[in-house]
Amino acid sequence: MKLEFDAALCRGHGRCYTLAEDLLTEDDEGYVTARGQVVDVPPDQVDDARNAAGSCPEQAITILED
Amino acid sequence: MTIIDPAPGDQQEISDRVPLGCPVVHLDASPPLEVGSHWAKANELREASPVVFNTHAQGYWMFTRYDEVREMYQHPEIFSSESITPWEPEPVYRFVPTQIDPPEHSKYRQLISRWFAPNAVKRVEPQAHEMGRRLVADLVSRGDCDFITDFAMRLPTEIFLEIIGVPHSDADLFVPWVEDFFAGFGGDLAQQEAMGAALGGIRQYWVDVLEARRGDTQQREDDFVSLLLHSTIDDEPLGDVLILDILTVLVLAGLDTTRGQLGYLFRHLAQNPQDRQRLVEEPDLIPSAVEESLRLYTIIFGDGRKVAQDTEFHGCPLSKGDMVYGLVSGANRDPRVYDRPDEFVVDRKANNHLGFAGGPHRCLGAHLARMVMKVAVEEWLALIPDFEIATDEPLMERGGGAMMTLLSLPLAWEVTA
Repeated sequence: MKLEFDAALCRGHGRCYTLAEDLLTEDDEGYVTARGQVVDVPPDQVDDARNAAGSCPEQAITILED
Repeated sequence: MTIIDPAPGDQQEISDRVPLGCPVVHLDASPPLEVGSHWAKANELREASPVVFNTHAQGYWMFTRYDEVREMYQHPEIFSSESITPWEPEPVYRFVPTQIDPPEHSKYRQLISRWFAPNAVKRVEPQAHEMGRRLVADLVSRGDCDFITDFAMRLPTEIFLEIIGVPHSDADLFVPWVEDFFAGFGGDLAQQEAMGAALGGIRQYWVDVLEARRGDTQQREDDFVSLLLHSTIDDEPLGDVLILDILTVLVLAGLDTTRGQLGYLFRHLAQNPQDRQRLVEEPDLIPSAVEESLRLYTIIFGDGRKVAQDTEFHGCPLSKGDMVYGLVSGANRDPRVYDRPDEFVVDRKANNHLGFAGGPHRCLGAHLARMVMKVAVEEWLALIPDFEIATDEPLMERGGGAMMTLLSLPLAWEVTA
């Protein structure tokens, strides 16, 4: 499973890196550093990743299933 | 707050504008009501139709469901922030950066947002805990308090002043100013005069800070006023007027709102011992409870925008200059998005609420507000794990004209030792 972060939609709500703190980090402005990127999700972090994606108020995170 | 059929004289004009099947209501959400009334009304409107036309003031469209409200926020090219109050399409004021549209908006936003980013907020978290601990310790032996005035207003104010870089003891000045300012929306003349005086007090405070910082030989660290003084936009210094506007907007946007949100969360905890107990036993769930209170007890009844171009939006013909109102409190309880939408689910997953708005104007202070609320719950429960509402009278809430808040929340607890 992968997460894809839409750079244009992301507004730095901070929900994703708070809920999936082992997977994601933020920059100094509060945006997820993976903005505009695709991130591999290790099997043990799938639940956190789903929660992070589902908690984005902008729907900026797409789950890509393997 | 009542929904009535529009007066017969208005019928013709409205039916020219409003498509068949779009309900027409007359709703003034500003009077204070018993707690919960505004959310019940939002639920009713949302289930009636995704778009409702409200004949209040000059008339405006209300978007009642989650997807429509999110789309409104995400399309500033259609929904401008030139006015954010739907019954005031031509405001005489201009809040910066609140009422600036992209692309201009991002210049102001970037300057300020770094100061309120998660890393910056973390910097003051230890002091925030100290403040919370002290405020609760001062109350605990009393056995009762009015949570709204004795704690919920005080804590966010102290923490805000700390992050700005001025003495947190100046909360003694800011608490009455902010109270007087928002009481002025009630409309009575004496209150409006107090509102003007409060605004004058806030502004003069920042004038004095600005003057003091101007005397510095170099920019101070951890000092927001000093940062603004040394910043440029398009290679020009900001100027005193703009700096004072920004500082005043932060005070008015950040303190009363956090107070309101804290009040609803603590009312919930007072009434639901099982949730309280769970947070005592599993403090890791406190941030999740904070998010759930932002969703279920949304203090933003709705948020206004001004239509910047003729467009069709979900079957509604919107004209340039029309006002629209995204019913955030309806969106956050939309059963199309949430299971058990009207329940407080402490450990709710996929909580994508719009309590901090969305799009380019997403609440600048969101990270700070979350930290303040987390600290409030942690420090309160550490000393007062059991408490209840100390009145049989119905609790009243300020209406949705400004941000909603309980007017008073009397709490009581057993004093031990």
